[in-house]
Amino acid sequence: MVTSASTQHDAGAALALAARAVTKRFPGVVANDQVNFDLARGEVHTLLGENGAGKSTLASVLCGLYRPEAGQVVRDGKEIRLNSPRDGLAHGIAMVHQHFRLVDRFTVAENVVLGHKSLSFVLATAEIEAKVAAITEEFGLPLDPRAVVGELSAGERQRVEIVKALYQGAEILLLDEPTALLAPPEVEKLFSTVRAMTHVGKSVVFVSHKLGEVVDISDRITVMRGGRVTGSVRRGEADVRRLAELMVGREINIVPRRAKSQVGDVLLSASQVHLERDGAAMLTDINLEVRGGEIVGVAGVAGNGQRDLAEVIAGLRTPQQGNVTVCGTPTAGHGARGARRAGLAYVPEDRLGTGLAPSMSIRDNLLLTRERNFLVDRKSALHEAETFIKQLEIKTPGPLTPTRKLSGGNAQKVLLARELFAVSGARVLVVCSPTRGLDVGAVETVHALLDEARDAGKAILLVSEDLDEVMTLADRVMVLYRGRITLEQSGLDTNVDRVGRAMAGIAT
Amino acid sequence: MIVLGRRIQMEQRMAVPKSAVVIVPVVSVIAALVVGGVFLALTGHPPVRTYLDLLDNGYTSFYGITDTLGLATPLICTGLAAAFAFRMNLYSIGQEGQMYLGMIGGAWAGIVLADSLPPLIAVPSVLLFGALAGAAWIAVPAFLRARLGTSEIVSTLLLNYVALNLVNYFIFGSQGFFRDPTTSFPQGRAVADSARLSPLSFFTEKSTNTYPTFFVAVLLAVMLFWFMRVSNYGYETAVYADSPNTARYAGMSSAWLQSSVLLVSGALAGVGGAMYVVGPAGKVDPGLLQVGLGYAGIVVAALARYNFLAVVLAAVLFAGLRTGGNALQVSNDPVPIAIAVVLQGAVLLFALGGELFRRNKVTLVRVQKATT
Repeated sequence: MVTSASTQHDAGAALALAARAVTKRFPGVVANDQVNFDLARGEVHTLLGENGAGKSTLASVLCGLYRPEAGQVVRDGKEIRLNSPRDGLAHGIAMVHQHFRLVDRFTVAENVVLGHKSLSFVLATAEIEAKVAAITEEFGLPLDPRAVVGELSAGERQRVEIVKALYQGAEILLLDEPTALLAPPEVEKLFSTVRAMTHVGKSVVFVSHKLGEVVDISDRITVMRGGRVTGSVRRGEADVRRLAELMVGREINIVPRRAKSQVGDVLLSASQVHLERDGAAMLTDINLEVRGGEIVGVAGVAGNGQRDLAEVIAGLRTPQQGNVTVCGTPTAGHGARGARRAGLAYVPEDRLGTGLAPSMSIRDNLLLTRERNFLVDRKSALHEAETFIKQLEIKTPGPLTPTRKLSGGNAQKVLLARELFAVSGARVLVVCSPTRGLDVGAVETVHALLDEARDAGKAILLVSEDLDEVMTLADRVMVLYRGRITLEQSGLDTNVDRVGRAMAGIAT
Repeated sequence: MIVLGRRIQMEQRMAVPKSAVVIVPVVSVIAALVVGGVFLALTGHPPVRTYLDLLDNGYTSFYGITDTLGLATPLICTGLAAAFAFRMNLYSIGQEGQMYLGMIGGAWAGIVLADSLPPLIAVPSVLLFGALAGAAWIAVPAFLRARLGTSEIVSTLLLNYVALNLVNYFIFGSQGFFRDPTTSFPQGRAVADSARLSPLSFFTEKSTNTYPTFFVAVLLAVMLFWFMRVSNYGYETAVYADSPNTARYAGMSSAWLQSSVLLVSGALAGVGGAMYVVGPAGKVDPGLLQVGLGYAGIVVAALARYNFLAVVLAAVLFAGLRTGGNALQVSNDPVPIAIAVVLQGAVLLFALGGELFRRNKVTLVRVQKATT
């Protein structure tokens, strides 16, 4: 057992919340194995770890969503029993989940009071809105209480969740991967909110797998791996490299990868593409070219047309104007199958709901983008699945396992393998946010696979909301803002600041 | 809900244990029998005795099981029809009406075409026209669903009433083509002899109510089971059912998949109606309207969890409850048919309720007051 540094640390400080030897099992896995964790009043304590390390499980135990098999949750020195998140709230503990739990058609104020027990029969709307406005003011969470949630950006929705927790009297806030959907300026805003909260004595647990950013905000960082705590450091002692090793359990090296050989012919091009949906322009005047042997990165904050761009190129949407050419064949208007026949492979952002059929086996998923005859050839797919599992070290009981049972990294390996090593030999690859939600180890693997594909002469368009990823891989960088390409630079002389500002829509 | 200081708590299972697949249905049926037994006892019938009678009249006696298989024949078809559509998350409940149309279409072929055809072709052509008529009856809902996204639940249901009145009109309301011209008694015009099959005797001298179409229905189930496993069509529908977004991503046409699945479903129900023509009825027979085999097909499909082979078993189980229940009605100690219906309802309710236990881990937890 590792005796974490935190147990010694808390001797003097006022302890708000603690987990004592918490164990939580799921079928086949011990998600939390005698985990100790504590949180002082006014502290920001980060739980850092890869996916599957057990950090979200611990947070869920602390807020009452899960009941641990063993161990205790201690609030203000007394053991508490939480049977539901509502119990958690009664103790002033609230969690903001990675996937928001809001009603799109309700206003901000309505969402905030949703599920609140002591609501009058007729909503005292004005009173609620005033209270919501006061909270947004105090903690620096710019929001219009009357705005309809469905029309808000991801960052704004997150603020609604936070306001909701504060409205319900949360003293302890657990934030699960709060920066996953945010642009750099929005992350800054979130951090200042967190500081405002700790300033008035509230405590924050920050659950994250992003090393770089947590160092700035945390008073303490506790690292988890495989359901156990592997170490804990205080502000000032944090060293990114050391934390990364605690997370992964071995040494890692993040170096930019660039094209090693000369680029070839233009394999993918789009010219003057214009797309409208429901009367609104989604893409305007898109021009791009990708050559064999290079990766072109498209950066941007979520919701600026990335998905439409990828879908137009993949043949899933027909643009009102403009041309798309794959390996010399015009593909606009020929559907997804037309684009594939021309030599395109596509890895969508949504792995399990779009790229893979979640309840179907690995074997059957490999058939998805193949040319299929009247009778399906499952035998060769089975053989292929076994090969991929071996070569890419996909962790699974076997090729007949449904893909939804795979971890994110392993599911992504299946998807990438299918698209990269297609029998038809696609030469153009469109990948969207390929490492979203993956742990450090899996990110490395995915990046290596993309790098290899580039070396093999494929033309790759990398659409990603993760700026670090784009900077690590791309030979050229574009920024997509409100459906337009607003910046284009070579990866070698990219100015990160400029890209960040372009992503936020600040003219350069 | 709090009972004796404990609260029922449910947690979703990560993996369904293998044993639950067997235990849950068995426990469901036992629980249904217990509930039915309470009703029997309350109405003054000895439960065990009545159940043994039911078993005998529905399954284990010669006439019991042959009646049951005869009733199960169209039920397998409507069950397959429902299962085929439901697997794709298309909730057509129009099997009843499509079955009537299958009867009408089959009778038409049996009257018009069969005279000049040998039985080897006449009977299949009756079944084929039954299938076509059933498919035609779902064509409009299929088009509306595939093109405009209109709920197939409402449109197929409403057409059931149209089909019902169509049959009544042909036999009772008009002197039309399907009405027997030789008598003033309102009944259907008989199809040609070549379009009819004789009941099976199962190597005895007795005449039964089971027709060779039973084996056709079973064969249909086996073929569907096999075809949907190995064919590209089965693959694409499975992808679509699992995740429409994935199907779109792979370039599959949702309009084609939705409309074709609904048409096949209608055809299957139509075949069920045509089997009634080549088997017991030999004509458009309003007696079919009384049995509700189309709606029962939905129940059968649900009991079978949309598995085509299991549909056969569920249909026989369900038909046996019905024939057994009918027989109890005319026994020495008549049991009202309503009790048999209560039993059927209980079986379904518990089978579907059992799903909860299959998917969730249910535990009792002591209630503790939250300390502050």
